[in-house]
Amino acid sequence: MTQIESKLDPVTFEVLKNAFGNLVDQMSEQILRTCYSFVIYCRDFSSALCDVNGDTIMQGSQDIAVHVGTLHLTAKAIIDTFKDDIHEGDVFIFNDPYVGGTHFCDVRIVRPVFWKGEIVAFTLTNGHWADVGGTVPGSFDISAKDHFGEGLRITPTRIWSKGRYLGDVANCLVANMRGAEDRLGDLRAQAEATMVGQREFLRLVEKYGKDTVMSAARECQDYVERITRSRIAELDDGTWNAVDFIDQDPGQPESLIPIRVKMTIKGDKVFYDLEGSHGYIGCFLNSAYPATLSALVAGTKAFFPDIPLNAGFFKAFDIKVPENSVVNAPWPVAVTGFCSGVYEKVQAAVIDLWSNRMPERAMGCAFNLEYLLIGGWDRRPGFDSFFMWYDWMAGGHGGRAHKDGCNATAAVFGLGLSIQPCEGQERLSPVLTSEHAIMIDSAGPGKHRGGCGVVKGGTVLACDQSVMSYCCDRARSIPSGIWGGLPSIPQGLWKNKGKEDEAYLGAIFSGVPVQQGDTFIRPSAGGGGLGDPLARNTNKVLEDVIDEYVSVKRAKKDYGVVINVIDQEMLVYEVDLAATEKQRAHIRENRIRWMREDPEQVRDKLLAGEIDDLDVIRRHGVIMDWSTREVLPETTRQFREMMEKRTVAFWD
Amino acid sequence: MAKFRTAVDTGGTFTDIFVFNEETGQVHIQKVPSTPDNPSRAIENAMETAKVNMSDVNLFSHGTTVGTNALITRDLPPTGMVCSKGFRDVIEIRRSTKQDLWDHYKDVPPPYVQRRHRLEVEERIDYAGKIVAPVNEQEARQVAQTLKKRGMKAIAVCFMNAYMNGINEQRMKEILQEEIPHAYVCTSNELLPEIFEHERFSTCLTNAVLGPVVGEYLDDLTGRLKGMGYKGDVLVLHSGGGVLKAETVAKYASRVASSGIAAGAIAMNQTAQLCGFENAMGLDMGGTSCDVSLTYNGELRMNKEWEVEFGYPIMYPSIEVITIGAGGGSIAWVDQGGSLRNGPQSAQAVPGPACYQKGGEAPTNTDANLVLGRLNTVLLDGRMELNKEASEKAIKKLASRFDMTTIDAAYSILQLANANMCDALRLISVTKGYDPRDFALVAFGGAGPLHAAYVARELEIPKVIVPRYPGVHAAMGCLLVDVRHDLTRTYLVNSNEAKLDDIETVFEELEVEAREMLEKEGVPEENIKLVRNMDLRYIGQWRNLTVDVPKPIETLDHALKIFHTEHERQFSWSNPDQVVEIYGLRITAIGRVPKPAFKKNETTANTQAVAKETRRVYFERAGGFVDTPVYKRTDLPSGTTFTGPAIIEQLDTTTVVPSAVKVTVDEYLNIIMDINA
Repeated sequence: MTQIESKLDPVTFEVLKNAFGNLVDQMSEQILRTCYSFVIYCRDFSSALCDVNGDTIMQGSQDIAVHVGTLHLTAKAIIDTFKDDIHEGDVFIFNDPYVGGTHFCDVRIVRPVFWKGEIVAFTLTNGHWADVGGTVPGSFDISAKDHFGEGLRITPTRIWSKGRYLGDVANCLVANMRGAEDRLGDLRAQAEATMVGQREFLRLVEKYGKDTVMSAARECQDYVERITRSRIAELDDGTWNAVDFIDQDPGQPESLIPIRVKMTIKGDKVFYDLEGSHGYIGCFLNSAYPATLSALVAGTKAFFPDIPLNAGFFKAFDIKVPENSVVNAPWPVAVTGFCSGVYEKVQAAVIDLWSNRMPERAMGCAFNLEYLLIGGWDRRPGFDSFFMWYDWMAGGHGGRAHKDGCNATAAVFGLGLSIQPCEGQERLSPVLTSEHAIMIDSAGPGKHRGGCGVVKGGTVLACDQSVMSYCCDRARSIPSGIWGGLPSIPQGLWKNKGKEDEAYLGAIFSGVPVQQGDTFIRPSAGGGGLGDPLARNTNKVLEDVIDEYVSVKRAKKDYGVVINVIDQEMLVYEVDLAATEKQRAHIRENRIRWMREDPEQVRDKLLAGEIDDLDVIRRHGVIMDWSTREVLPETTRQFREMMEKRTVAFWD
Repeated sequence: MAKFRTAVDTGGTFTDIFVFNEETGQVHIQKVPSTPDNPSRAIENAMETAKVNMSDVNLFSHGTTVGTNALITRDLPPTGMVCSKGFRDVIEIRRSTKQDLWDHYKDVPPPYVQRRHRLEVEERIDYAGKIVAPVNEQEARQVAQTLKKRGMKAIAVCFMNAYMNGINEQRMKEILQEEIPHAYVCTSNELLPEIFEHERFSTCLTNAVLGPVVGEYLDDLTGRLKGMGYKGDVLVLHSGGGVLKAETVAKYASRVASSGIAAGAIAMNQTAQLCGFENAMGLDMGGTSCDVSLTYNGELRMNKEWEVEFGYPIMYPSIEVITIGAGGGSIAWVDQGGSLRNGPQSAQAVPGPACYQKGGEAPTNTDANLVLGRLNTVLLDGRMELNKEASEKAIKKLASRFDMTTIDAAYSILQLANANMCDALRLISVTKGYDPRDFALVAFGGAGPLHAAYVARELEIPKVIVPRYPGVHAAMGCLLVDVRHDLTRTYLVNSNEAKLDDIETVFEELEVEAREMLEKEGVPEENIKLVRNMDLRYIGQWRNLTVDVPKPIETLDHALKIFHTEHERQFSWSNPDQVVEIYGLRITAIGRVPKPAFKKNETTANTQAVAKETRRVYFERAGGFVDTPVYKRTDLPSGTTFTGPAIIEQLDTTTVVPSAVKVTVDEYLNIIMDINA
């Protein structure tokens, strides 16, 4: 039984712990109600209370995962920069990913809280601003190789000095951004939120006394560290490895970009070592250290959902990342797309490692976070203004130990990040949505299948000087299955599909011109399956077919379940048990051979119409350029190597 | 001869009855077990038990959990959905978020209708309300026939941008009604012409699944009441704090889904007004949870959206109620980090607190109250006995973890429960810019009055009101409400381009519609009250703020000034120089229902109360256990005053009066505690 050491009585401690949580949630509520960036409004923001050293005492209960583990670095960056030059009434602004931020769009506001002339805490908010300048609207320039074109880098900067608002500084910053007025609004909303935090913290200090509140702040961290360590201590010691991949380094010959995570559990500590991860790459999917740290922490947190988040949690982990790598890119390498690149992969690798440590909480790989941006001049009747259609989708999560993955859910990157309503988008931008629906067969097959992905498309209406950019990944590093489960589908966008000038633009591109009448469509992937799909209950497959989550064709090919359609209108279907048994035996007999078949022969079969794209992936583990249907040999070799370990090894 | 007004609040466990005799001013209360298989039966039973002759009743008002229960248990009629081509999954994709951000094994419940029964029809309206494609008649008829063959009893029609133009939805509805004459059909436009597809579709679908459920229930109830001789209207409480007549309810079925919760808040508001408080908060603490609500300047705080299950909002205005897991049965425990916690898990009725001796071994708030002498070992006029030794044993086990005495541990448990309730009250007050020091606290429910004085002291709330019948307070709320409809229109224009005439025109259209609804329900002209609201925000902001505006609006600037002031009050900043976006216009249509006039009692100054006994009760400020007078509530006439420590017992609750707190019994027999005395 845990020994309880505390200077505070249990009631005071519990009351103050809850009060700290209440305080940060109040800050979040204020931001949500007054912000100007729709990205923030959709909950891409977080709030924190930090102690005098900058360590987080408490983070908001509904905060986005991706900011976890970076907020204390932000506070520390301010402390390190200004040292003794921090005064009552000062407020600081910051977004530098290289020393404690995530990417430029995440703008942080930090307020030191003073009591009788000395600092007692920091309150901090972080919000994803809709634009922070740079070459493309929304500040997601996939082609950027360094940060200079990505957007404005704000190193620690004073924005209020002893209570005086430094309008000149603020104007200089927002003048470099699209929608300067709105950005000042965001600044105001966030600064006021830190004020709310200050007010509440000082209320506590007045009521309970400074020493009591300060010790409660310290004990909150000790408490979280204590719980975390005791949970880890319950697990077996050992070392395990996981790998996941970014699709490619655009300037280089085709090959997946490996991100490796080695996890060691020893006693009550966890060691993460990312040695062996690829060097930084020539596009913005790299990540700087803070964001990588966040991915490791957030991925781990999914296995300890009930532990509150503060600096105490991080103290149970030791982290090592190689210099100049894709997971620790140095200044000035571009990192804005880290969220679709490194972040997703590190998190997926961590979830994979823990899935094997805590099988009852296992989960296959989820779809990849994606952002599609169309920006330019709105020329609809009555409009003559700059527009930005900035869209992200829900997708499928991986299959789980005893149930299917979640259909159409926010990215693991941030489960609180809500998608935008199409009706709001249609009002604000010359884009008409053609469909926003769950995509049939998008889920990775398994005993417990992945969740289904979503497909969303649209038509561009009257506009000019408009371009489209896409920040995504996993057109090649397709969300994989676990314990014998199969991968889902590749992500990537088609322009004018089915028309003469149709083009597959892939999962990362920027600045592609669009004009009135152009159409586009892209899926978000489903999640990877968990367990052998041939072991899936036939009735579950039947139910999926009735609901059109799975087609009759793929029920047969992926699950070996033969279903006869008796009366579609009345939903009368039946499983042909004899044919199913035969089909399952046939697949069982051949599937390992299929998975090792010569990729070029697979391609021949595809071109001959004997098999389709999903067979290429799920049956043969072959990865192609999806527009030319050329085999990518090295990518295929790496993908198959992974599938052998994650999937084939579990087949009987 | 008609002389009674009755209100019935049907909860999960009990059905509460509140009967008011208009001639004598007497009140009769009754609690009978609910009959979940057919809630009407409990009402019938209760009326008989209360010996109320229904032909003597001239007003019957009802709060019900029928809708909520149907949604939670998914005991719903076969329902289909017809959507625009490409959008049948809006209801399943939702806004894509999960309630628990870290637990990948905690899922959002599935939509109320499976994908197989969500069918699509080619049609499209654009953002401006222009028809991009009319309804494909052939496809529509095919869809209708399919739904008919599948035996659908209810159908929701949900088309994109229908908030701008409902013509395609209307056509689809006609076709469905032609093909399936007896089905319950509703469209998103007629229910809620507001932007954002998921929220509108969700409201429409919830309405569709509940339409037949609520309709059949009320038909049954109306029939029974009629059979018993009742000739008046059956009024049903809705989440917005008003009532609808039974025949209107079916059309707006989703409005009554949180009927019961609203009742408590309404009663709180009425009691506060009666006692002369314009600002008050409600603390409704029962066995498993605690509901808090707030009224400011006599108006209950409202929400624009709420939900029974996460992910499926119902976008009708609803009284804001925050529910937390703090009740008499909430369990105190030690977590893995060694921290003492209280709730949200509850021992519920079975196994119950340790002192019930029904198998529960975990210490609860009830056990702590018993150990400290605050609760009597005999409750409900001797119908229930509590075992104090069992409570002591349970708490002692917990105390040993902290090197505490059993008494200190019991006291700590209650402090935590109080702190949790304070957090909830803070969320509804301080967070929204209200200062608790300007409020009174109305405490009710079985456990509210046990804790209220301490909660008030912590938040510096100066007064606590304990109503005469705390246990059936919510039922009384049902008796005190007006007919209420909420009409809304999305109206997007910037303040620098807005034309006042046009705004007036839209308001007038809504007012005509509102008046027609009330007239149809037989509300006489002199009892109609229409209130105008505007949804406003600074241009670029994403949330809007609803403010009351006068009729007529004299100048737009005047309306904007109201907005700036409210923004300043709630968020500590405003920007009068910035352009404001008008987002929506709303009308609250109220049909006043005559209220009972509660009997005022004669007050004799400085009436001395006589304690029925003395008990050892723990009060920290008194230095521990002290001899404490225990009063019977029925022995406290109006005008009684005394100073704590004291305990006041009545059939349905126990009130704790801490040291130095002054008690006054007012002319309506409410207990008023002056915390700062």
